[in-house]
Amino acid sequence: MANNPMQQFSVHKIGPEIKIAGIDLSFTNASLFMVVSAALIGIFLFLGTKEKKIIPDKIQLVAEMFYSFVAKMISDTAGSKAKPYFPFIFSLFMFVLLCNMVGMIPYTFTVTSHIIVTLIMALFIFIAVTIIGFLKHGFKYLSIFVPSGVPTVLLPLITIIEIISYLSRPVSLSVRLFANMMAGHTMLKVFGGFVVSLGILGGWLPLSFSVALTGLEILVAFLQAYVFAILTCIYLNDALNLHH
Amino acid sequence: MTTPDNFKTRLEIAKSKIKKKVLSEGEKRGSLMGNAFKLGTELVAAVGVGTIIGFILDSWFGTTPWLIIIFFFLGAAAGIMNVIKAANRMQKED
Repeated sequence: MANNPMQQFSVHKIGPEIKIAGIDLSFTNASLFMVVSAALIGIFLFLGTKEKKIIPDKIQLVAEMFYSFVAKMISDTAGSKAKPYFPFIFSLFMFVLLCNMVGMIPYTFTVTSHIIVTLIMALFIFIAVTIIGFLKHGFKYLSIFVPSGVPTVLLPLITIIEIISYLSRPVSLSVRLFANMMAGHTMLKVFGGFVVSLGILGGWLPLSFSVALTGLEILVAFLQAYVFAILTCIYLNDALNLHH
Repeated sequence: MTTPDNFKTRLEIAKSKIKKKVLSEGEKRGSLMGNAFKLGTELVAAVGVGTIIGFILDSWFGTTPWLIIIFFFLGAAAGIMNVIKAANRMQKED
């Protein structure tokens, strides 16, 4: 029995070792589950949009639900200017959601419980939003660091604080997703270990906790994907609609 | 019976009903919990980033303890500002 609750997060190689220019590019279990999540999204959306019925069947209904959910989220938070970015935010939301949900199945690997995965996604969003901001507004985009209505004495201080706050965006975005997924899965493993060690007499209480926690984790898996996508929309909104 | 005015008001009523339905229960609770998850890390991340900036600047200028202390407090201020901004946004949504 695997006693260590952190063992589930270990990355190991599958198949041969691939090294290109000194960088280890081997296929790992993390890559495998990313491929699985992406493939599931592809299959699901293919089946959902194959027959475009007026009265949708179940899978088409679910696919349309996801579509309208994300479309509404974007138009609510970032306005109509953000419409061109719908494909990106939709893929992002679906990928994070599916990675989280696939991780909830026993014996799988949760890709989003590794900070490197979430940090790369967050940094990509951060850099992309910054570039979009500069492309749309030029150097006027820098006025995001200078809030209006601040006394001149305090202005340098506030500007530094605003810059720190801007730089903290990718950190908070990635740490939130990673920490929630890792903490949840560790907790599930720890309670699972209690069930085994307390045996048939005392194991019922942690078992019931485990069941409740599984439900909570599925909720968290969805919520974190939602929060990740909606924060992307909010950052995009700041870049597109510069108001001061 | 089916005058255009009548139809318009009926359409308005139906639309408002849909709007109410969309915002009811599940979705509202979901977005509230999403907000709750958001605030904690918002505060911590800014403090972390501020401290790291202070650390890097210290090793550049060789002023070892001072900039890290200053930027720690600036980071804390940025974190609190993040939370206030997020809270303002939440209130605007309601």
